Amino acid sequence: MTWSFIGWVIIGLSAGLLFGLSFLIKDFDIYQIRWPAMISRLIASRASAIEQGKKRQVVLGHQLWSHTYPGLGLHTLSVLPDFLDPESVVDGGQSVSGGDGSLVVFARQMITGRYRDGFSLALQDASLESKLYGPTPLSFTAGFLPELGMDPQGSLALFGDYGPEAALWVEAARTRHGRVFAAAGSIDSQASLFMTVPDLLIGEEVYMLPGLLSPTSKNRAGWLTEDFVRIILILMIVFGAILKMVGVL
Amino acid sequence: MKKVLVMVVVLTIGLTVLAGYLFRALLAPLLALLFDWGILLAGVAGLIGIGYLIHMNLSKLARREKGAFFSVVVIIAFVFTLVSGLVMTPQSPFFRDLILNVQIPVEASLLGILAVTLVYTSLRLVRSRGWTPMSIAFLASAILSLILNLVFINIPTDTPLSYLMMFIRRLPLIGVRGILLGMALGGLVVGLRVLLMIDRPYGE
Repeated sequence: MTWSFIGWVIIGLSAGLLFGLSFLIKDFDIYQIRWPAMISRLIASRASAIEQGKKRQVVLGHQLWSHTYPGLGLHTLSVLPDFLDPESVVDGGQSVSGGDGSLVVFARQMITGRYRDGFSLALQDASLESKLYGPTPLSFTAGFLPELGMDPQGSLALFGDYGPEAALWVEAARTRHGRVFAAAGSIDSQASLFMTVPDLLIGEEVYMLPGLLSPTSKNRAGWLTEDFVRIILILMIVFGAILKMVGVL
Repeated sequence: MKKVLVMVVVLTIGLTVLAGYLFRALLAPLLALLFDWGILLAGVAGLIGIGYLIHMNLSKLARREKGAFFSVVVIIAFVFTLVSGLVMTPQSPFFRDLILNVQIPVEASLLGILAVTLVYTSLRLVRSRGWTPMSIAFLASAILSLILNLVFINIPTDTPLSYLMMFIRRLPLIGVRGILLGMALGGLVVGLRVLLMIDRPYGE
């Protein structure tokens, strides 16, 4: 048995569980929502920002794909549709930005795709565009900071793969009385944002966000799969450590 | 029909790449081709992104929005870098000096501001998060790490204290490993959800 084989077993097990549970879980209440207060505050801050005519910023991170965090870029695009509802975009106060050309292009595709699906005429308006403030983390920061400082900020939502420079965005948004919600994917951003952002998702919690924003049975199947595999992994690690201690491994 | 086509393309490519890990030798030429296409598409998307950046700044300038001055600076810097790069080529030492001597000080100053911001926010940690077990643990481990990394602390090797220090120094690594395992698990489920057509971010 090799490590590669164990990896394939975990992938196969996850696929099987995900597929099976997607069909089995039909009842919404079978698996409880986590951190509802945090999500409620995010939704409330966005609603309050719309009512007060303040800006809402959605940041999609710096990379669509990276070696260390391969799923984060794709994940951030899964979150975006939840921020494209008619109420959020109709007043032109929402901004979607990213630090990678491909992320921004995909985001724009999603915005226009939503319009084509007849979802909201407001999305046709040029007021909602995906923006690239800069192609590197620091050039993005240099472009984004003046944007945050210009108008009163209602909410700042951070998703995807970004670094400790996010602390600067948070401070800028705070100065303009904006409420911050962050799903910090990278270790650096988790460490820097833990100090300033109370509504912060870290580690695997980040990947639960689509399910938290729109709780469907399929999203819950994903959570349940993650939880099952996590328990199995924990047991395997403990078992491996015991075997190592007794000299078998 | 268009959506079905997209789904078929995603599923075919996804499963081929996944199968490539099992049958590496057999699928190597096909995988190389797929990765080349992917890199090419990402490069084109990057170029389009730069186009968006310039378009956004030109629009700001045309509409005379707030902060139009910054847009002028961006456009001038972009045109200057593009033209000088095309004329001198990026391999030219003069071009590299010219660009890096602007870029590095600007980025270093931003990093300096970031360092000050992080110190300031760490001082406000308890005020923003309160005296919770997490905030106390975070603060204590940060201070302990800083103290342990001071160069003048020298402990004789092969003593119980040295082993204790080694254990404490390795604790953050264990935490990072745990978080990365969780992230890998989340990434795995996201990938599988796309492959099993449960999530379709490309189909929005």
